[in-house]
Amino acid sequence: MTLFTALFSHYRRHPLQLAALALMILVATTLWSGVRQLTEQARTSLAQSEQVMAGRQQVVRVDGAGLTVGDFAVLRRAGVCVMPWLEVPRPDAVGLVIGIDPLAAHCFAEEGAPFGTPGGSRPARLDGKPFVDIAEAARLARQLPAAETPPALVLIAADDTLAAALPSGYRLVSVSTGPDTGELGESFLLNLDALGILVLLITALLLRSVYRLGIVQRRDSFALLQRFGVPLARLRRLLILEILVLSALCIGPGLWAGGWLAQSIGQGFGQSLQGLFDAPLYASPGHWGEPALIMMTVVLLACLADFLVPVRRSHAPRLRSYPLAGGLLVTGLVLALLGPSLVLLFVAVAMVFAGVGLLAPLLIQWLAERAASMASDPLRRWRHRELAVMARQLALPVVALQFTLAMVLAVQALVTTFEDTFDRWLGQRLAAELYVPVPSGQPAEPAARWLAAQPGLQQGGAWHRVIRGRARVAVGDKAARPVDLLAFAPVSSLVSDWDFLATDGNPWEALARQDAVLVNEQLARRLGVGIGDRLALEIAGSPLALPVAGIYADYGRPAAEVLVSGALLPAGFEAEFESISITPGGLSREALVGGLKQVWQVPELTLRDNAEIRALAGGVFDQTFLLTRAMSILTLVLAAIALLIMGWVFFTGRAWYFRLLATWGLSRREVAAQLTRLSVGLTASVALLALPLGIWLTWVLVHRINPLAFGWSLPMAVYPGFWVELIGLSLLIGLGIALLMGRQLRAGAALPVSASSLTGGER
Amino acid sequence: MSQQVLEARELSKTFVSGGEPIAVFSGVSVALAAGQSLALVGRSGSGKSTLLNLLCGLERPDGGVISLLGERFDSREAEAPRQWTQRWARLRRGRIGVMFQEANLMPALSLLDNVRLRARLAEQPLEPCQSWLERLGIGELAERYPDQVSGGQRQRAALAMVFAMNPDLILADEPTGSLDRRTAEEVTAELFRLQAETGVALILATHDAELADQCQVTLDLAHGAADLTPGASAGPAP
Repeated sequence: MTLFTALFSHYRRHPLQLAALALMILVATTLWSGVRQLTEQARTSLAQSEQVMAGRQQVVRVDGAGLTVGDFAVLRRAGVCVMPWLEVPRPDAVGLVIGIDPLAAHCFAEEGAPFGTPGGSRPARLDGKPFVDIAEAARLARQLPAAETPPALVLIAADDTLAAALPSGYRLVSVSTGPDTGELGESFLLNLDALGILVLLITALLLRSVYRLGIVQRRDSFALLQRFGVPLARLRRLLILEILVLSALCIGPGLWAGGWLAQSIGQGFGQSLQGLFDAPLYASPGHWGEPALIMMTVVLLACLADFLVPVRRSHAPRLRSYPLAGGLLVTGLVLALLGPSLVLLFVAVAMVFAGVGLLAPLLIQWLAERAASMASDPLRRWRHRELAVMARQLALPVVALQFTLAMVLAVQALVTTFEDTFDRWLGQRLAAELYVPVPSGQPAEPAARWLAAQPGLQQGGAWHRVIRGRARVAVGDKAARPVDLLAFAPVSSLVSDWDFLATDGNPWEALARQDAVLVNEQLARRLGVGIGDRLALEIAGSPLALPVAGIYADYGRPAAEVLVSGALLPAGFEAEFESISITPGGLSREALVGGLKQVWQVPELTLRDNAEIRALAGGVFDQTFLLTRAMSILTLVLAAIALLIMGWVFFTGRAWYFRLLATWGLSRREVAAQLTRLSVGLTASVALLALPLGIWLTWVLVHRINPLAFGWSLPMAVYPGFWVELIGLSLLIGLGIALLMGRQLRAGAALPVSASSLTGGER
Repeated sequence: MSQQVLEARELSKTFVSGGEPIAVFSGVSVALAAGQSLALVGRSGSGKSTLLNLLCGLERPDGGVISLLGERFDSREAEAPRQWTQRWARLRRGRIGVMFQEANLMPALSLLDNVRLRARLAEQPLEPCQSWLERLGIGELAERYPDQVSGGQRQRAALAMVFAMNPDLILADEPTGSLDRRTAEEVTAELFRLQAETGVALILATHDAELADQCQVTLDLAHGAADLTPGASAGPAP
């Protein structure tokens, strides 16, 4: 028998431990690499959305019709440098590919930086990823399901293209890459990075706990081998080799599974990215080398840290940890309250988690010791003392479970709050029964005049025009910034139910009188604007200065927006989108449609009803927290399984004492009851300690991180029903441990043999 | 005449190893009255521990009848395992004290709490527990934990636990096997002193011939005697 075989024989006797270790490495790699891959895709996509199209302009038809290859030919024949651009969803995969024509792009090279090549004044703008030849994109477009809207052809114009050079029937517009998101994109990515690190931290904790338990049980073997003359350094080298081999075997499949995970949730995640930042998720190939190296390092550090820091085997509570844990906790709490940036907030969260992680097992241990010293019944005293031993022995999985419970609780509260708030908000926004987009090229005024003249609309009906465009806003001496502009004309009763975050009297009356403007929360936060502050507006070149009469919530998008009365829009204002919201009242739908068709002289009219738009909006917002919710649930499942396995392994080490109780005359049922009380006591303590941490994390997410990351805040809400569910889950884990152990006690020899392992004999 | 505590007749036990049945012993009979002591001797594997397990109900014999403290356990009767186990558990809880070679104590409890726990399970008063430790010379160590005292002190504490439950029968499996000779002699002396004081019946499995000689009767399982009933007679076995 070789030395390595002798060392490895432990796992032959305890195959479950080896399986648990391999599973931990596999799942840790899967979860972390999955999140990392999505984050990298999002980072790439946001960067490309900003860089590739920044400052670009495109050619559109004046009549609003879609562009065709014929338009491209007309423009090129006229000597205009344009390049076709076709964004197509990847079939059966995540993200988009962009089809370009390299030959057509040749004229862009004359600008100084050729498209498709790195270097020059715009390095790596189009570096070949995720760009494909337009023929390939067109082929992919033809494969799209019939139900999907076919992708529209875009013609990108060279920067030096002048409007005068265009043939008639065409005009230049800037390429829209979504609203100005400021630093929100970076914040979003930081959120994802933090989630990835949290997942990595929790899985590393679990991995370490499983490995450490095995090492503790193997100490006797190590000591024996040392007595046989094997140097300690050689033993350590073999252990490093052992974990390296195991990592090498598990990390590869873990990375593959991570890729699969990223692909599985990428579709929803892509919609989330599109909804939040108007940036599509571009497909990018996964990298293998770097994640594998990082994961290998994490595994080695998690498993072999004891070689650097000797394991403490003191039975006394680690008193020296209290000041450190307390210091971290208090500093983290203060920083979370006052931290001005997202990075500092994440540091604060990390400090609080570290402090709580150090304190929680000590607290359970202390409480159990206190309860033991106060118990007059020796059996109860024994049970409390055993609980204290468990809290110390299972500190790492206990902390990991506590963290994940807190994370799940916070994410659930955030998502549920978001859903509730969004539903209420959407209900206020979608007060009208029907929405009619103004047909392209048609003025809205004749329709408005026709609607105003309808007596049926006066009977319980209401309507207003919704006009969207762009404006520039300045506050004080600061430079003007482009913002979204929203206008209502007239200000109808359809908006009277809006909730405001802050108002001054009746904001709608002030808006209708053209005495004030309203701003969304994003604008108020970004420009530091409050009620009564005077905004300097520039709409289509016309200056306007009005005070802010109200700040309204505007969930789910980062753009700053100002709301004005439609009567204030100057004649030259070009609306990007215009529609009419109508509750017909006494006017029949047929009469309404017929009348508007007649006014606009169009054969067909797009008419969307309330339910359709609600479903559309709800669908987009459902995706927003898909990733966070999915990852937190997966991590919870992992932590629950880990604690179940660890608890089982721990109790196996303590089986001697339960058998001793049976030898002393306790019936099987009584022994099982003691076992159940112990395991359920531990998991219930974990859940109870996770509650305050989860509520605090909810507050941080809702009041601190969300406004910084997404630009809007949510009301704080707690959901005790979900607390009960989580406590129930913890109790189930405890019962699971007791059940597994109970089976083992029944199956094993009735007589205590020996409490041979060090874990078993510890107090 | 002393009260009969135990009578076991024609006990047999077979284990299956590698698919092959291995008879540990068969036809073993034992009888013991209150205040008597019996030494079980024999080679390793001769079945000493197994016989003790049968006599306290931790294992079920394949054949034979055990009458203990008024309860009758007949392996030929089809008694449900659950009921059989419960009847034995009741006896072990209050009337049979069991000692092992090592680790008889709960590591999370002090020596005194261990004694109190055993007394509580036997529904005996908790107050005398400290005095049992003092009688065994470890009263000042009452608040120490098992890993804070020597092996000999741990076995003294185990003795205190057994006597605190006020049993009718003590089954001790190599109780001094892990101790040095001098400590073993001290612990053994205490055991026999307290056994004589309390009048409890004692069955002791041991390799130690000198220790076995201190018992009134010796039963050598190594010779595989078919009928080793010592009867109620006092004095060491011939």
